[in-house]
Amino acid sequence: MTMFHFLNCAILTFGPHAVYYSATPLSEYDTLGTSIKAAVVYLVTALVKLVCLATFLKVSESDSFDPYQELLKALIGFVDVAGLYFALTQLTHRNISQNHKFQAVGLGWAFADSVLHRLAPLWVGARGLEFTWDFVLQGLEANANLVLCLSLAALGSLIWLRKNKPKTLIPIIYACAGIVATMPSITSYLKRGLGWHFPKVVGFELFTSLVMAFISWQLFTACQRPSN
Amino acid sequence: MFVEPVYSSLITLLIIVVACAELCDAVTVVDVYRLVQYDLGGVPLGSRLAALSHHAGSSLYLSSAGAAADLSRTVLILPVRELNLTFIRDYIGQRKPLGGLLLLLPPVFSPQHSDSGGGADQDSAKDLVKEVLIEVERLLIHANIPYPVYFGFEDEAVHAMLGDVKKNDITGQPATATTGGQSEPGHPSPSDQRPPLGNFNNYASKVQQSPLDSLLCVRLSDEPIAFGYQRWALIGRRCGPWLRRRAAKSYKLVVAAPEPRKVASPAIINIQGWLPGLKADGDSNQLPTIAIVASYDTFGAAPALSVGSDSNGSGVVALLEIARLFSILYSNPKTRGRYNLLFVLTSGGPYNYNGTHKWLRSMDQRLRETIDYAICLNSIGSSSNELWLHVSKPPENAYIKQIFEGFSTVSEELGLKVGLKHKKINISNPRESQMLSFICLALRTGYVPICMVWEHEQFSLRVTAATLSELSVAPDFLESTGGLSDNRNFINEASISRSVKLVAESLARHIYGQQGKSIDIFADHSSLSINPSYIRSWVEFLSTTPRVAPFLSKNDPLIVALKKELADHTVEVNVQQELLDGMFTFYDSTSGRLHIYQVASVTFDLILLLVLASYLIVLFSFLVILTRVISMLADYVFEQGLDDLISLFRRPSSRKVKTA
Repeated sequence: MTMFHFLNCAILTFGPHAVYYSATPLSEYDTLGTSIKAAVVYLVTALVKLVCLATFLKVSESDSFDPYQELLKALIGFVDVAGLYFALTQLTHRNISQNHKFQAVGLGWAFADSVLHRLAPLWVGARGLEFTWDFVLQGLEANANLVLCLSLAALGSLIWLRKNKPKTLIPIIYACAGIVATMPSITSYLKRGLGWHFPKVVGFELFTSLVMAFISWQLFTACQRPSN
Repeated sequence: MFVEPVYSSLITLLIIVVACAELCDAVTVVDVYRLVQYDLGGVPLGSRLAALSHHAGSSLYLSSAGAAADLSRTVLILPVRELNLTFIRDYIGQRKPLGGLLLLLPPVFSPQHSDSGGGADQDSAKDLVKEVLIEVERLLIHANIPYPVYFGFEDEAVHAMLGDVKKNDITGQPATATTGGQSEPGHPSPSDQRPPLGNFNNYASKVQQSPLDSLLCVRLSDEPIAFGYQRWALIGRRCGPWLRRRAAKSYKLVVAAPEPRKVASPAIINIQGWLPGLKADGDSNQLPTIAIVASYDTFGAAPALSVGSDSNGSGVVALLEIARLFSILYSNPKTRGRYNLLFVLTSGGPYNYNGTHKWLRSMDQRLRETIDYAICLNSIGSSSNELWLHVSKPPENAYIKQIFEGFSTVSEELGLKVGLKHKKINISNPRESQMLSFICLALRTGYVPICMVWEHEQFSLRVTAATLSELSVAPDFLESTGGLSDNRNFINEASISRSVKLVAESLARHIYGQQGKSIDIFADHSSLSINPSYIRSWVEFLSTTPRVAPFLSKNDPLIVALKKELADHTVEVNVQQELLDGMFTFYDSTSGRLHIYQVASVTFDLILLLVLASYLIVLFSFLVILTRVISMLADYVFEQGLDDLISLFRRPSSRKVKTA
């Protein structure tokens, strides 16, 4: 549908990142550098994941759900978590509060993810004459992904950066982090194993991302309270 | 960094993989075949354009929108099964503007389709469509059509699209630029037509038949994504009908074809095979020659589909089989007859037997004078039991009588009926007869048949020439020349076998002087029997090869195959290449690929932009409230303590407590 549709879908896919950056105090504290560094870390992580996938995974002809392959993919997905750990802890950030650090890292992470996975199909596909809803749904997926990345970054910063956490909350934190980290495997299981259609999967992603965001927000504020 | 080149190549690979995975099912592509484009004596005829890029419309649009419909940017899709002849006659006769025309043929007319043989009612339906098709073909061939006309075959994808287009047209939504697709710069679209209210109520009430669906905002059905717009329209029930009209699916048909160019030197290629007879020792005279002639090329509304199984594929197959049988006889000097046999496959048949005329003119004078008798084969493949022998000499002529008697005796034995038809030609000079036929052409305005010719009329009057055909009258100019409805499913191989036996037997009896004797030279189950598998394989080959002469070159596989086959059966083969008469000019680009795109209107994109803008604004304000305002409150709490915050809210009541 030519450039108009491409612009619409691009706005849907990448707009929220820009909006998030400008709406929250991130822009005041000029955390753009952090975000960019996080994006670079994501790219490196993606490269490592690609190499691991190419080495260990078989190329299956059918589109069915193979538990063993999916397990391998989930394990490799934990490379993501390692990358996030690196971005949160090892990169030297300027003196910004933890609150903003995880947001900046999450934002950069999500932005890099969107660009890598969604920009190319958008450019190639959305500019054609044929109209499909695929790209709009992809944009919604990008939104859900942004929320998920922020939650994961929040939980990650809770796990690695905050030292004094209430003991009761620790297992919940780890459980939530595990769920969010394995989201890609869950969605691929839904798509292939259960055969859900794309709109349903996107709806599920949006719903779970909001739920996980709410939970991580509660956890984060709960962990902030002991200093009271 | 060292990782840069590796990284960039991996990213490229990723992009390619993702792109391939995403783009598989973007568009429906259908093979379509263009109407012939030709000039006749400078008069342009046929479809003059090849490239197509317009929105799809159906015949229902015209009936709903009436006479004010502007179709100059629409491609009309008309299935031939439901075609209204008067409508199309008006449309083409009055030269109304149209973006394009796509005629859909039932699959039985496809050269690749092999009829599984339905029941009697299927046959009658087939014949009905065949009649309509012949009429439409005649209309289209003789008209000058300034827009592209394509023929396609019905299949599921096209059916689905046509169903959607018809649905759109019923609700009265015109598939023009702003409501049904992209707007093209520089072309102001016609004003948006309001649909008649009656149609709307019908459509709206149809939707409300399932109240549960209208209440549920999201219907978890198995519809593919492209139909998802229906769900969103149901969500916005207040603006439902309006939204539905704006977001209705419309289709854009695109054929990317280059500008049609003239075929540079259209060639006419005649192939002749010579089988010499037995010359007795001491006989210095030339042996008489018998010529068996059939034209092999076709002409139809769609040159890429003109396979002409009956006209004149049946004649070619018969000629080849006769050649094979006589080659067996002539291979042995004891059974070689005292006649030379000349088998000629001529081209240029539809153009008043241009090829035959040129072949005769260029033939060696002595050879031409030895031709005693010529028989032309034309359309002998349909299942009727009646054949006609057309002659130009009067029936009282001794030679004609002899020949006809020979045919009659054999046909009686075979259970066929052969009639004699005499058609006088006034001119003794065949060249003048050709000029007369071209003048007849120029007078062609109301499709009144003015002149009709047979192939045997090209021979000089000295030769006893006849045409054997199932047609009782000579076909009109460019009629019965292998059009759209002439394909494998409409001929009968048994008839061809019978006709072969008829001609071969009567010729053999004449050659060997066995007239009147009851002898079956080509008896069944003998070594000289007619070979049905040979006939079938040639019929199949010819039924899948379009043979319009200007598009055949000397190295075309068909010509090579025919030449090789004649070379197998005869002693000497000559291929003669001539240029087609200058009165005819043909243009290329005979087929193309039709891309069917589902497009959403520009208003839909605008609505989407509005929705996205509002979403982003809402998101922005939500985040501002959430982060800055609440963080302010949180910082305030952090600094001042939680009690203070509560006291802030409780101040009025606490004051009351304090004062109390």
